[in-house]
Amino acid sequence: MTGGHRRILVVEDDPETADQLVEQLTTSGYQVDLAASGNEALDRGAASDYAVITIDRMLPDIDGIAVMRQLRDDGIAAPVLIISALGEVDDRVRGLRAGGDDYLVKPFSFVELVARVEALGRRSDTIVKETILRVGDLAIDLVSRTASRRGKEIFLFPREFQLLEYLVRNEGRVVSRAMLLQHVWDLHFDPSTNIIDVYVGRVRRKVDGQQAYPLIHTVRGIGYCLRAPG
Amino acid sequence: MLLAKTLTSSTFKLALIAIATFGVIVSILFSYVYLSTSSYVRSRSDRAIMTEYSSLRAAYELAGRDGLIPMIRQRIADKSFSDRVYLLVDPSLTPLAGNLKAWPSTVTTTKGWAEFRAGEPSPDAAHRPLLRAMLDTFPGGDRLLVGRDISELDSFTDQIKAAVILVGALLLVLAAVASVLVTRRTVGRIEQINATSRAIMQSGLDQRIPLRGSHDEWDRVAENLNLMLDRIEILMGEVKQVSDNVAHDLRTPLTRMRGRLEKAYHGSRAGDADQMLIGDTIADLDAVLRIFSSITRIAQIETQARKGGFRTVNLFDIASEVVELYDAAAEQDGTNLTVIGDRDVQVTGDRDLIFDAIANLVDNAIKHGRAGGQVVVESENIDGSPVISIADDGPGIPAGEHEHVFKRFYRLEQSRYTPGNGLGLSLVAAVARLHGSRIEMLDNSPGLKLRLWFSAPAR
Repeated sequence: MTGGHRRILVVEDDPETADQLVEQLTTSGYQVDLAASGNEALDRGAASDYAVITIDRMLPDIDGIAVMRQLRDDGIAAPVLIISALGEVDDRVRGLRAGGDDYLVKPFSFVELVARVEALGRRSDTIVKETILRVGDLAIDLVSRTASRRGKEIFLFPREFQLLEYLVRNEGRVVSRAMLLQHVWDLHFDPSTNIIDVYVGRVRRKVDGQQAYPLIHTVRGIGYCLRAPG
Repeated sequence: MLLAKTLTSSTFKLALIAIATFGVIVSILFSYVYLSTSSYVRSRSDRAIMTEYSSLRAAYELAGRDGLIPMIRQRIADKSFSDRVYLLVDPSLTPLAGNLKAWPSTVTTTKGWAEFRAGEPSPDAAHRPLLRAMLDTFPGGDRLLVGRDISELDSFTDQIKAAVILVGALLLVLAAVASVLVTRRTVGRIEQINATSRAIMQSGLDQRIPLRGSHDEWDRVAENLNLMLDRIEILMGEVKQVSDNVAHDLRTPLTRMRGRLEKAYHGSRAGDADQMLIGDTIADLDAVLRIFSSITRIAQIETQARKGGFRTVNLFDIASEVVELYDAAAEQDGTNLTVIGDRDVQVTGDRDLIFDAIANLVDNAIKHGRAGGQVVVESENIDGSPVISIADDGPGIPAGEHEHVFKRFYRLEQSRYTPGNGLGLSLVAAVARLHGSRIEMLDNSPGLKLRLWFSAPAR
């Protein structure tokens, strides 16, 4: 995989949804190929090198999971985002177990989709080796599990550190509430309360309180983004 | 119509089979009675004849013809021997003594028992008495016949036969009448149930099968059917209530969205205002989708489709994670949220669902508890049963409302205006049912304590 590789294969049979996906991902700076059926997806998947592949579960010819398995069998390692209207956890787990890298339930917001595609794409091109990650004047030590700003240590509970680490690892990218729940708490459902916001609020007070500039930003309608100013 | 139903009913067919079986048994019994009575009567008469014959034979052997003939004459003269017949003949069959005119021509045997009609054969044979006699030939060639008129015996057995047949017939008639009556009663009760069923199909669930107060099995069937109808009516009511509530809870945001879009459609484009309108609409849409996915989630849990995800999990660990997640929210509310109890409480279950259930209960406890109060999550093993309890010190739930709070969309009047869609406790109930666990509501005085009783994992 090459850095800055931003080519995506979208496998979706509904024309309007497909158009919307292509448009949104194109706007986010991706080069998007569309496959309207499982067979087409297999052909295209074999022909080009993709950064991320999104596959709808319900395809007219082959089941999305079978398509993904076939792609894996063909030696295609691109991360796969499964998109499905079958929302329950069992189904989700089955999708992930079959080799999917992430799972998104219809209907979804495009910001969420882009956030997840970004996270998957990054996973495939950079593997962070450093033990200390820095964003602006924030430094987090992955070994001692401590965080500091301008050298001054911030007291965090383990789960709070995990949350901050996830935000830092996705620096500059939007992270949705569902992604936080999934990666920080290993929960695959939406608890339908503002619980995440309250939790992030507390971490934010610890990290951004009485500092020169804020690092954690709220992204309306979707979640959060950690970035340094400028 | 009722008669036709009676004749085709299975009860009637069963009754017919019973009558047939009964009839066969009765005929066998009565035939036995008849045969044994007649053979008893006959053997008694035969014994009397044999005794008489022996004494006459003894007289002949002692004194020959001269000893026997006066004895026969004496017997004939005696009134008490009037039904007896005697005849002594010489070897050429010429009568020597007796009250028969001649040796019976129909009798071919010379020794043993014979039955014949007295006198010469004539067309009206029935009017001649039927005789049964013992006969033998003495060494000298003389023959002796000793018998009696058995016409009366015959008519006695005939009477028994008639009585037996009459009683049998009477029994059959009674059985037939009884079975028709029983069948009509059965068919009548079934008809009542059928009529009620038809009425329910046509008009509605308010009909009930009438009871007769006899406490028989039909009343019990009717009672149970009525209870079932009550249950169905309640469920239908709940479904209606739920769909009304769903309609209400969905309609509110949908109406807002529609209004907003309509206003935007007719108004002029204005960047910031449009942005806000669209943002609000998306938020409302998300609320609708969340209600929708909660409903499908509960429905899916209730179909028990998720037992595949069961493994041994520790309630204390899950509770700790929930408390950790809600810690910030509790802090914001000024509530003191703590987890205490046994650190090793194993259950077999779905971690995500148990997490969701405990999270819902903790969320409720924080929301409905006292601001600045205490919420305590406790895991323990009580008598071998893993238990998780969530207690607050808020206003609690009135005792009368305990049953209702687990219904979908049920919300106490007092919490109508706090956020939430009323599905949380339904989800808890569904998760509990899936795990076969029992929910107990206790008064925490003050406040509410909810307990989930699990069953210990099989070892």
